[in-house]
Amino acid sequence: MIDASERVLLEETVRKAIAAVCDTAGGGTAIDAVLAQIGWLELLDAEPADAVDIVFSALGAANATATVLDDVVASALGASPDSNLAVLLPLFAAWSSPGRIDGSHLHARGLATARAVRAREMLVVCSSGTESWIATVPTKDMESNAVHGIDPDAGIRAVHIPGATAVAKQLEAGAWESAVALGRRAVAYQIAGASRAMLALARSHALERIQFGRPIARFQAVRHRLADALVAVEALEATLAAARDEPNPDTAALAKAAAGRTARTVAAHCQQVLAGIGFTTGHPFHRFLKRTLLLEGLFGSADDIVLALGHQLLASRRVPNLIEL
Amino acid sequence: MPDSRTLADYRAELHAWLDAHHDELAPTHPPPGTLDDDIAQMQRVRSILFEAGWMRYGWPERVGGRGGSAMLRTELGAAIVARDLIEPGLSSLVEVLAPTVIDFAPPELAAEMVPRLLSGAEIWCQGFSEPGTGSDLASLSCRAVPDRDDHTASRWVIKGQKVWTSLAQYSDRCVLLTRTGSADSRHRGITAFFVDMDTPGITVSPLEMINGRREFAEVYFDDVVVPADRMLGELNGGWTIAMSILPYERSSCFWQHIAYLYRRLQRLIDVAPADDRAAEVVGNAFVQLHALRARSRATQHRLAAGSTLGAETSIDKVLVATAEQATYDAVRRLLPGLVEIDDRVAGEMWRSEYLYSRAATIYGGTAEVQRNIIARRLLDLGSAE
Repeated sequence: MIDASERVLLEETVRKAIAAVCDTAGGGTAIDAVLAQIGWLELLDAEPADAVDIVFSALGAANATATVLDDVVASALGASPDSNLAVLLPLFAAWSSPGRIDGSHLHARGLATARAVRAREMLVVCSSGTESWIATVPTKDMESNAVHGIDPDAGIRAVHIPGATAVAKQLEAGAWESAVALGRRAVAYQIAGASRAMLALARSHALERIQFGRPIARFQAVRHRLADALVAVEALEATLAAARDEPNPDTAALAKAAAGRTARTVAAHCQQVLAGIGFTTGHPFHRFLKRTLLLEGLFGSADDIVLALGHQLLASRRVPNLIEL
Repeated sequence: MPDSRTLADYRAELHAWLDAHHDELAPTHPPPGTLDDDIAQMQRVRSILFEAGWMRYGWPERVGGRGGSAMLRTELGAAIVARDLIEPGLSSLVEVLAPTVIDFAPPELAAEMVPRLLSGAEIWCQGFSEPGTGSDLASLSCRAVPDRDDHTASRWVIKGQKVWTSLAQYSDRCVLLTRTGSADSRHRGITAFFVDMDTPGITVSPLEMINGRREFAEVYFDDVVVPADRMLGELNGGWTIAMSILPYERSSCFWQHIAYLYRRLQRLIDVAPADDRAAEVVGNAFVQLHALRARSRATQHRLAAGSTLGAETSIDKVLVATAEQATYDAVRRLLPGLVEIDDRVAGEMWRSEYLYSRAATIYGGTAEVQRNIIARRLLDLGSAE
């Protein structure tokens, strides 16, 4: 684990590198390139927890688009991450593996980052019952369409593999669940970064916007909304720290559920405080709102994760203390 | 601070001991029990734990403790609450009273008195709030007047009223905040005293809470004479003492409370139906409790590493209050009629606790005061209108 001073330095480096790039095209190539320059893959290999925490928080805070989620999931699946290797993500709001194998043919539907158009190959995980396989499929064998949706800048693509011939290797039990867990943590960090950014925008606005002869930050109704937003963000960050200290599918699921809940709370309070200006594309708030709505659907929505966790509690009839002092 | 390995060892040893002494520690009264029953149980458990040494870990040796990190006593508090041996509201009072006396009483007095509290021989209370002093503690008016001038006084005479004083009718001593400065001296003119509750002139009048229990009281001080050597801290230094309680209240007390809420969610899950609606309700409660536990853990690690806790613990307070009410709301939603019309033991217990949980956003600093602190101190929004 890197120490506190190294961490501060690294956070600053990543933040500055991302800020220096002005990439709104949605391809993510520019941000990918600067992250590669500062040693993203080496960091992911040596210090995966720090790498995911620092980079995804910064991506969220800057509303930046990159394709490094592919590297995170690939490494969690035991593959060597590489800019030429994309990963097929589950469908929106789902977390089951996106593929199935039918004889010697592989069928799959899922989402992908913009890397899907420029990588040569894509990792596809297929499951049947409790067993999972992993296959590497040439990207030329798949149909991939840009998703415009609510946030075209995110560069998300819808991928369909209609029946490729591929050699599949069996995965260890729990490998897909571990990959989902790390993917959830990455996305939750990104949502946490975006939530902090929304709060910073609303805070600045509250201090600058004058009504009734004073900044609206003086009104208790406004102050309490922003306070509630901060409570939600800090609780999410604590949940992420717990998932980092005790990494397992449950702590990651809780972090992702908390991220979804937090993003909705923070966006609602901040949008209300930003009022008219936050309802225009002239103010950056809308980008964070849209990005978090999209990110909430990656690796399962908060509602679906909460439901699954609830069923797990009711099936085991036990409330686990997932973290101790 | 102990590293997590030694803390884990301590926890394992503690739980093994509690398992082995289960029968001895279990409540002897039929459930749900009156407040008298609960108090007797608390003092009995404390005396057993003190004898066995557990109640001494994490307390300084000069007051009969065995030293070590405060996290050790936090673990003990959580363990006994999680086993329903003592209710956390009663149990965690020690965590706010003992440190005050240890840090601010003359050393001989602390050495004499604190072991009585830890061993269950005595009960103490905290006289802070007044009828005119709720959220605005610095406005308190219960007066202490010296028999001579302020600095050579041998005795102080106290006149005034306190309210919401938990367990006052059971208490042997009281940590009392009084006005010693001018009426408008606010936080600069408050002094704390350690008062024997059997001193002539003290009248305790218990108040019935909405769940029927009489856990707190009005306490009247009618020319109550207190020796000057019972002053805690400096003359007019009472505000420092009041503020010094915050780190204890927001660390070990909260951890006990969290253990209690986990236990309550467990009890709900023991009997809840296994359908989608129940899954959604318990899942949501669990997400909130887990986030609270994660936050509180981080706070305690900061404290143990030497940080001074401050305004940021208002976030912990908001999370505790919100999670507590959410937990009992979940019970009421999933077990219809239990709170409202069930006259069996379980119904009585849940009804009492459900009603008590409505105060979670009021006591210990209201939800509104916490949000004001967060806005002013953490979000730096400047002063309010």
